[in-house]
Amino acid sequence: MRFCQWLSETTFSRNLRDAPYPFPVLIIVHIITIALFGGMVVMGNLRVLGWSMKSVPVSQVIGQFRPWKWAAFGLLLVSGTLLAMSDPVEYGGNIMFWISNALLLIAGLNALIFHFGAYKSVAVWDTAVEAPTDARKWAGLSLTLWIILVFAGRAIAFF
Amino acid sequence: MWLAHILQGIPETPPLNPIARWEWVFPVVEAIHICGFTLLVGTIVILDLRLLGISLRSQPISRLAKELSPWIWAGMIIQLTTGPYLFSGDPHEYVQIAAFRNKMLFLALALTFHFAVIRKATTPSADSAALGWRRPAALVSLGLWFGVLLAGLWIGNL
Repeated sequence: MRFCQWLSETTFSRNLRDAPYPFPVLIIVHIITIALFGGMVVMGNLRVLGWSMKSVPVSQVIGQFRPWKWAAFGLLLVSGTLLAMSDPVEYGGNIMFWISNALLLIAGLNALIFHFGAYKSVAVWDTAVEAPTDARKWAGLSLTLWIILVFAGRAIAFF
Repeated sequence: MWLAHILQGIPETPPLNPIARWEWVFPVVEAIHICGFTLLVGTIVILDLRLLGISLRSQPISRLAKELSPWIWAGMIIQLTTGPYLFSGDPHEYVQIAAFRNKMLFLALALTFHFAVIRKATTPSADSAALGWRRPAALVSLGLWFGVLLAGLWIGNL
């Protein structure tokens, strides 16, 4: 909390907070990249679950959209960090802010576990309609986490 | 006069519409609206990237469109249910906001373009043809949906 107070006194934070443009612009970049990144994560999960794009190999859905996902995720992190820096005292004391970040971390770990675990054997089930149970479990968890994350993220403004 | 006097004594009833009555309904419905948009953006961006010849080039366009179709519909149904409901909370206020009117304009254009042009661009008979006019069509589609999102975000910012 002392760190948050120090941060909010910096000129950079003050400018983010008081200038008319940064906040709405950052929110817009943040939500657009959420839609782009989230949309691609959701579609990848739906493919692994066998619920959409059944005829497209899993590795194509996951591999070909990876550059877009990374680009969107980069912008998402930058805009999110700047938004948090615009009012560190407010966000630092907001329980939903920390829950959202924890969920983001869990979703990230989930993606890593999927990538270095179940996804390793993708060559075997690439063209199958449904991925093996293990992979589908992680995809289902990812989908659930992202939905909860949207609710928690929206709730930041409510608390 | 005596009637007005009696009526004044009756306590004001809370609004019947839950969104106008309880504070928490709006953000919950709005969160569903964001999830729906993510689904819609996800499916439409994948289709448009295919039409641009950027992604999934080895996949026939019509088959991809057919497989994405139920999810595009699901997204649209979620949006066209939660959207009007959000609007119902304070209709007089919304119609006065320029961003709201812009959003409706972009939405009408995006939907018309989707069902008139993108549909035609994804018919099986066009599968073997060169992408040609479908590339700029995909860009227009992306632009129109981007407009819907941008105007929608602006409603909350002003």
